[in-house]
Amino acid sequence: MTLHIKILGGGCANCDRLEKHAKAAVEQLGVDATFEKTGDYAEYERYGLLATPGLVVNDKLVAAGRVPAPSQIVTLLANALTAEDQ
Amino acid sequence: MQIAEYLLSLLQSGLGNLAAYLAAHVLLCLVPAFFMAGALSALVPKESVTRFLGRTAPKYISYPAAAAGGFVLAVCSCTVMPLFSGIYRKGAGLGPAVTFLFVGPAINILALTYSGVALGADIAIARLLLSMIFGIGIGLIMALIFSRSDAAHEQAAADPFAGRASVGGRVWLFMGLLLALLLAGTLQVGLLTDPFVQLQLPLAGVERFQALLNQWVPFDATRGEEGVTVQGVVLIALLASIGLTATRGLGKVDEGYNRWTPVALGLTALTLIVASLRMPVTAGGAELQIGGRTVAVALILGGLVLAARRFEAYELQEWLFETWRFVKQIFPLLVAGVFAIGALRPLIRPEWIESLAGQNTVVANFVAVLFGVVMYFPTLVEVPIARLFLDLGMHRGPLLAYLMADPELSLQSVLITSKIIGRTKALVYVAWVALFSTLAGLLFGAWVDGANGWLIIGGAILGLALLALVLHRLAAFRAAPAVTSGKTSHV
Repeated sequence: MTLHIKILGGGCANCDRLEKHAKAAVEQLGVDATFEKTGDYAEYERYGLLATPGLVVNDKLVAAGRVPAPSQIVTLLANALTAEDQ
Repeated sequence: MQIAEYLLSLLQSGLGNLAAYLAAHVLLCLVPAFFMAGALSALVPKESVTRFLGRTAPKYISYPAAAAGGFVLAVCSCTVMPLFSGIYRKGAGLGPAVTFLFVGPAINILALTYSGVALGADIAIARLLLSMIFGIGIGLIMALIFSRSDAAHEQAAADPFAGRASVGGRVWLFMGLLLALLLAGTLQVGLLTDPFVQLQLPLAGVERFQALLNQWVPFDATRGEEGVTVQGVVLIALLASIGLTATRGLGKVDEGYNRWTPVALGLTALTLIVASLRMPVTAGGAELQIGGRTVAVALILGGLVLAARRFEAYELQEWLFETWRFVKQIFPLLVAGVFAIGALRPLIRPEWIESLAGQNTVVANFVAVLFGVVMYFPTLVEVPIARLFLDLGMHRGPLLAYLMADPELSLQSVLITSKIIGRTKALVYVAWVALFSTLAGLLFGAWVDGANGWLIIGGAILGLALLALVLHRLAAFRAAPAVTSGKTSHV
């Protein structure tokens, strides 16, 4: 199974950090993942994001307006994996 | 030869301005303000405010929340535009979105404290109050003018404003201590400023050093210029050392504390303590004066260390990282701006400013607004610019008008705004902002010239209410024929 990870927010420092943390988490979990990054307001609206950066996993907004701790991101991704199994 | 001398004098003027700003006025205000901005961004959940800006929030909650919420939400420009778009399309609608956009720059903790210290508390408070009143006014007017198109945005599936969060006691305590640090460093009251310990430091050569500094950076006290003191040199050296250590100590703290983190924080605390002291140079040495300010700053710093223990390591790292991110983003441009302003200062003749905006007239206020709209300055640089105008004889009324228009309106922000709400709405918004900024300057100027403050605020609110009533009538009038024509076409 593959995780589809989308980073909402282009160009801000925290968006880059979120992307970095997410990539590290994927590596730690050892799963396949696709990465996408967008700064499009229409996308923000679609997921109901109010403040960048936002983390979307499998089409669901799981973190918004902040960069979660690396350990939290691992948990978020692991949760998305178990949700997919069911 | 003469040109070289002239350029040298401009350079000296720039350096003098920079040193005076860095060392004398702003250290005790800007350093705590940056840490506060970082804390607002990292420790206060955005949902604690956005929950009041949802589609279902009643008007009497959403407008004040939009006006006051900028304190938490508008610290970083990267949150302002997505939030503006979100409030407009999925939240409380066009009115509160516009209010949020207008008040944000005025209620930002950095701009607020900086203009308070550099320009006077009256300007900072007037800017805050008037932009809240007028921000709500402009929001209501925009909602009335465009009431029909606003209704179209009401339906949406996901509600991003459903998230709820409250601010815990430890965050309140921490923010309170940071605010206390800011006040202890900047308030000009006898309890803080009067020294109670005076030590004579027998430092040979300090006197000569000061004379040398005065020679390097000559100043003219009659023109409101300030020179560089020995203490100022120490502070600038400390600031530079913070800069060097914080690049690693705070800039990489999101990956965990490193050995530079305590060094950078220690140097910051030391800088605040040194800045709170007074050290006038006397014959044969310097006098060290310790007063209430130093004691208060030291005590609050201790309190902050204790309060910080109630947070998790990750939260504190996030706080420090955000703080340093703001510093990195804003401070270099501010330093360059202050230097440039100082260097340009001898070139501008006070007569020009005085004839244009020396009096509180409609034209003077409008010219100030126009200047604010056309010119774009990096964040916070509008404050030293305003200081320059003030020193050159600008009336405080037009000065406020300029301060209200400059951060609110720039070509760049107008372009993004029009992309979100459409060109017509954006242009109408710009026109109202220009009008209200002019009005704010006129009213504040009248107060400075001696008019009754309550009368002015009351008049402003009454005028807004009247305007809203007229627009409401107009909207109803426009809507009525549309209904009848709809009926007739069915028949």
